Amino acid sequence: MTSAIVEQVLFWVFAISTIGAACGVIFARNPIASAMSLVATFFFLAGIYILLWAHTIAALQVLVYAGAIMVLFLFVIMLLSLSDHGPVMTFSPTRIAGGAAVVGLFVALVAVFRRLPVTELAWTTDAAKMKDFGSIKHLGEIMYTQWLFPFEAVSLLLLVAILGAVVVAKPRI
Amino acid sequence: MIVTPVFTLNDFLPVMPAAVLVVAAIVLMLSEVFLVSATRTYQAMLATLATVVAGGVAVHNAFEPARAALQGYAVLDPFSSWMTAMVCLGTGLAVLLSSGFLKHRNAERGEFYALMLFAAAGMSLLALSAEFITLFINLEVMSIATYALTAFLRRGPRPSEAGFKYFILGAFSAALLLYGAALLYGATGATKLIEVSAALPAAFIASPGLVYAGLGLVLAGFAFKVAAVPFHMWTPDVYEGAPTPVTALMSAGVKAAAFIALVRTSLFLVKGIPPEMPFYLFSGMALLTMIGGNLLALPQRNVKRMLAYSSIAHAGYLLLGVAALFAPQGAATTTDVGVFSATPLMGLVPNVSSGVYKGILFYLLGYTVTSLGAFGTISALERREDETRGNTWDLERFAGLAQRRPGWALAMAAFMLSLGGVPPTVGFLGKLFLFSAAVDAGLLGLAAVGILSSVVGVYFYLRVVVYMFMRPAPADATTPVRHWTTELALITSAVAVVGLGIVPGPITEWFGRLGMIFGH
Repeated sequence: MTSAIVEQVLFWVFAISTIGAACGVIFARNPIASAMSLVATFFFLAGIYILLWAHTIAALQVLVYAGAIMVLFLFVIMLLSLSDHGPVMTFSPTRIAGGAAVVGLFVALVAVFRRLPVTELAWTTDAAKMKDFGSIKHLGEIMYTQWLFPFEAVSLLLLVAILGAVVVAKPRI
Repeated sequence: MIVTPVFTLNDFLPVMPAAVLVVAAIVLMLSEVFLVSATRTYQAMLATLATVVAGGVAVHNAFEPARAALQGYAVLDPFSSWMTAMVCLGTGLAVLLSSGFLKHRNAERGEFYALMLFAAAGMSLLALSAEFITLFINLEVMSIATYALTAFLRRGPRPSEAGFKYFILGAFSAALLLYGAALLYGATGATKLIEVSAALPAAFIASPGLVYAGLGLVLAGFAFKVAAVPFHMWTPDVYEGAPTPVTALMSAGVKAAAFIALVRTSLFLVKGIPPEMPFYLFSGMALLTMIGGNLLALPQRNVKRMLAYSSIAHAGYLLLGVAALFAPQGAATTTDVGVFSATPLMGLVPNVSSGVYKGILFYLLGYTVTSLGAFGTISALERREDETRGNTWDLERFAGLAQRRPGWALAMAAFMLSLGGVPPTVGFLGKLFLFSAAVDAGLLGLAAVGILSSVVGVYFYLRVVVYMFMRPAPADATTPVRHWTTELALITSAVAVVGLGIVPGPITEWFGRLGMIFGH
């Protein structure tokens, strides 16, 4: 019982912090502050992954995203030495329509999530599916047996992304 | 207890065309490292050869019975195999067009052809993905390769803007698709399309909102890729800014692959949902896209931009075909038992579907050859000095082309007539098959709107022809840059446009077969 309450409290702490930090990424005018908010977002998101029993993903999130990738982000921002005067927000009909669409989507999703049944989803009670769920052993096992094709497809995706980045980063062709 | 997966050689058959393309792309990529001579024509030849081989394998696959492969992540069915063959045809022509185009700009590199082949491999894999995560990864393989190709030649402000816009908006739409797939996973606990579709009726009763939200987001992601109104805003800018052979590949290949994936996904994901919902959705989108694309193209004097809007209109005609699949008239009948009889789609797909598949595939084939030819002609008329100015693709550029290069003008006229749907071209037959399938499905009104809006389209296609044949050439007119690969590609497309329009031959029979799509 207490563990359920602790889980609830932790969830709200992580959820609100994630959203707050994500807003910081958008609204901060200084790019460095934006990037640091992104680090915080990744960090709190990792907390939610742990609550979801996705330990491996949580660890990777902190190590790879909050650690390695964000350091690169910061390097790039500092090397570019941007000024903190970003573009001034202007309002045009298409922008207003876009904003309305985003708000509409948000309201629709909130309405959908509020209507979800409070009971657990049927398939999460499946004991066979939940055994070992989220452990690195389990993850490795299914990745190299049941998810072989998507796993190999990712290697192709990474190769294409590297080649694309090299081509785009060339100063002039 | 680890269950070792068992694969047979047959499992790899569907991914063979993509494998050929990927191997050739890696060879091309490495060829830049070990390059000793300055001539790079062999790279284009190698890339073309790869598309020919991959296309041959795909045609072979198209006559295999439909089945699932690779643990259910991929399917082998004629629908996706024919699509792969068309993508190979389109990529091969685009490679030939690029060779002369890049050489003229002193920008021919192995990476360019490698990215083109990677994009083609992504398209082929996207068409055969039968699982959401695989589908997303393959969509990204295709998209990232095309983002990089869009920004390959950064001369003047336009290409960078186009590449950046395409990348940001594409990433956004891919995120929508992924979020929709996650919501559907939450509702059904599965990501394989066949399992999602089996669990969907129960999930829909439990939480209809969640299923609708998931479906809506997935469809929005696809609608962006096929450039359907109201997700079309990026198209003109990106099509205009990308190197013209790349635009040709985007308009033909990216769109075709996204359409096949859209058809496959939506066929699986409508189980248990009120049947009129997908029908209204697709007909509404088809209506908006047909009318919007044609009306937006009307005032364009910039031919490249006009073709971008016209590609939106053509997506609308294809959406009309998708709407015909979900037409209420046939939805109740249980016919057309394909190879897989006990699948979740039994009884769901109306009996007009074989006509619709034929229409969609033939239309895509026609659009592939026509659009490659049209963009190819434009790419040959571009001048290097104009790269930073805005009038590179103005109608004036086509004035008097018939006197300077009668052959080119004739070919361009054929492409324009085909885009407008005038006989005896492949564009006319494609529209005929598609609209008659829509009429068979009971969509008289939509088909009428389609025909009327394509009549509007004839105006701006014919305007190019009028300029080529009836206007005198301006004083500073330049002759098109000649290169044998460009001419080979243009001749091939022109012959295909007219030839297939007169003698569609066995292709229509092949496209009309039953068991066209897995699960049908």
